[in-house]
Amino acid sequence: MNKPALYLSAASTISHQPTFRNPGFSAALAPVEASSALISPDYKAYIDAGLLRRMSKILRMSVACARDCIEQAGTGQPDAIVVGTGLGCLQDTEKFLNTSLTVEGLLPPTSFIQSTHNTMAGQISLSLGNHGYNMTHTQNTLSFEHALLDAAMLLREGDRNVLVGAADEHIDILEDIVAQLAFEASAPLTSAASFFVLSVENQGDAKAVLADVYTVGGTKYGQEDIDAFLDRNGLQAGDIDLALYAGTPVQGAALNVDYLSLAGVYPTGSAFALHYAMDLLGTNSEVRNVLICNGLRKSNLGLTLLKAVEA
Amino acid sequence: MGVCITGIGVVSAIGMSVDENLSALREGRTGIGPLHYLQGTKASLAGEVKASNDELRAALGVGTEYVSRTSLLGLQAAREAWGDNKRSGVIRTGIISATSVGGMDRSEVFYKDYLAQSNPDYRLLTTHDSGSTTERIAKELGITGYINTLSTACSSGVNAIMLGARLILQGTLDRVLVGGSDALSGFTIDGFRSLMIYDDQWCRPFDDSRAGLNLGEGAGFLLLEGEKSIELTGNKPICNVSGWANAADAYHQTASSPDGKGATLAIEHAIRRAGIGLDQISYVNAHGTGTKNNDHSESVALQNVFGDRIPPFSSTKAFTGHTLAAAGAIEAVFSVLAIRHNLIFPNLNYRTPIAETGLVPATQLETGVEVNAVLSNSFGFGGNNSSLVLTKYE
Repeated sequence: MNKPALYLSAASTISHQPTFRNPGFSAALAPVEASSALISPDYKAYIDAGLLRRMSKILRMSVACARDCIEQAGTGQPDAIVVGTGLGCLQDTEKFLNTSLTVEGLLPPTSFIQSTHNTMAGQISLSLGNHGYNMTHTQNTLSFEHALLDAAMLLREGDRNVLVGAADEHIDILEDIVAQLAFEASAPLTSAASFFVLSVENQGDAKAVLADVYTVGGTKYGQEDIDAFLDRNGLQAGDIDLALYAGTPVQGAALNVDYLSLAGVYPTGSAFALHYAMDLLGTNSEVRNVLICNGLRKSNLGLTLLKAVEA
Repeated sequence: MGVCITGIGVVSAIGMSVDENLSALREGRTGIGPLHYLQGTKASLAGEVKASNDELRAALGVGTEYVSRTSLLGLQAAREAWGDNKRSGVIRTGIISATSVGGMDRSEVFYKDYLAQSNPDYRLLTTHDSGSTTERIAKELGITGYINTLSTACSSGVNAIMLGARLILQGTLDRVLVGGSDALSGFTIDGFRSLMIYDDQWCRPFDDSRAGLNLGEGAGFLLLEGEKSIELTGNKPICNVSGWANAADAYHQTASSPDGKGATLAIEHAIRRAGIGLDQISYVNAHGTGTKNNDHSESVALQNVFGDRIPPFSSTKAFTGHTLAAAGAIEAVFSVLAIRHNLIFPNLNYRTPIAETGLVPATQLETGVEVNAVLSNSFGFGGNNSSLVLTKYE
């Protein structure tokens, strides 16, 4: 099936790096430090103070990025809101779990209400007053790619602009769990949210073209899967100016960068890589084709192909 | 030909299979009662699946103990829906499951020991994330490739069916196993109790005296196939997935709007997508949780869409309990059964109409009617509203 080009017209990321409202950030990004913390903007500029008090980290990040992104795109109310999250609202989940196991009698419901994975998408719809399609994908390390695939499908079905993003939050117990399960993280565990506006039309200031997204789960994969994906898009590995990878570098690409070293480790880190790639495509005219190769887990592969917007 | 349903599977408080569920629905036999398998909760009544984890593992041939009940229930229903179908190198096959709690039933066992510092078993957490519940089902069935999980609270199951249908229509997949699964947990029981919408008595959907829901557990799966797949498998279509819609209520994080805005949009758009008239809907399988808020809002939405010509409708939650993310999938299976056997299921425990809306659901099993098209609603936290229209295969 012939896939029309889709345009990424805005991006917004809150992370452990200076990504928020900072165009050109990709040029001078150092690896994320173990001692780093989330760089939070003044949330009150995006979220009502009363609501803000009750919101966990993942909700604040998500609603602020979503609002910033919509403002940047200038496309008005999106037709749909699609979110990917690997582990969901961990802070509220742990809080309610703790309360329910330790408190007798009537429990405060807020953390239960805010523990479901769709709280980000729901809060964004409330914040924007949006009645459109509202979806939450949670497929481990491929949650963001699945959200992106859904958004691309919606545009092919007739939507004009879709807000699509991803978020995951770090809580302290994760460090303990990672150590106990002997999961070897190649970079510090972090929190972040990234949101994008994906559109059928270039409104004049699109940052990148989303050429294709692909996921494969539950099987071993290798370079041949990557080559086949590129071949379906009329490219070879040698045409890739930059491969942003998690796991194994992409053979044949002109330059490979491990995006986990920049983003830190969280299940939807490929969304950080997408914003990084858009930022780079917007500032460096030498870069035309970028492949994001998400092999954070050995049995899951996510591939996202971006191209520079033709002048 | 559109998107066809060629296989169904279900496990719930009223049975371990499609046949068992159908018998209970015909006989008006509920599965809600005191909890037997999940101990230590504050729920007096729930819709528990009548099998222990060990019994489920033995029946399903799952060796490891590191598997969530959500995965086991999902596998039970997915196996039944998958039937004798074979893996294929030609038919692009995927799986989409929906879950709200994921492996919380295992995580809360871990966390209790963790808090008490009594040798917590960290490996239990490997089943926590929702995606892993689907990966486990996919692995047992040998499905690789497109594996995805949706989590939109109580509307998740319908969304999985909708996404599967869209993937087939867009030519991304040829067939896809879609459904949802959720296990009972202390976490969700305490959660709904904290919201004061857990009824200690047997739930009474659409009744004026309704005072909340009873949680349930289970899973429903449907095998969806497009034309290419059916040509190769030779499977006989049972029904078509004809209409679907997803809309946000954007009113409140948990409560539904009094004017039923999101629900009205979802129902209208799903019927429009199906390309049939309002008068062609033979039966509505309502969300009907038994909470004051949902049943009122849903009644208003039905009135908004159908005026004073509301089709026969009922909630089957007084049979199964509210199975959260599985509800939309389980009720889609019930809707297929309504079409296949020309049945309208009774809404148990109804006596008095809701004062503000006055709607009267079907209270007896109807067998003498022709059921050609069913509307099934699922509405959830976060203002996530979804509706589905299934039609008889012609």
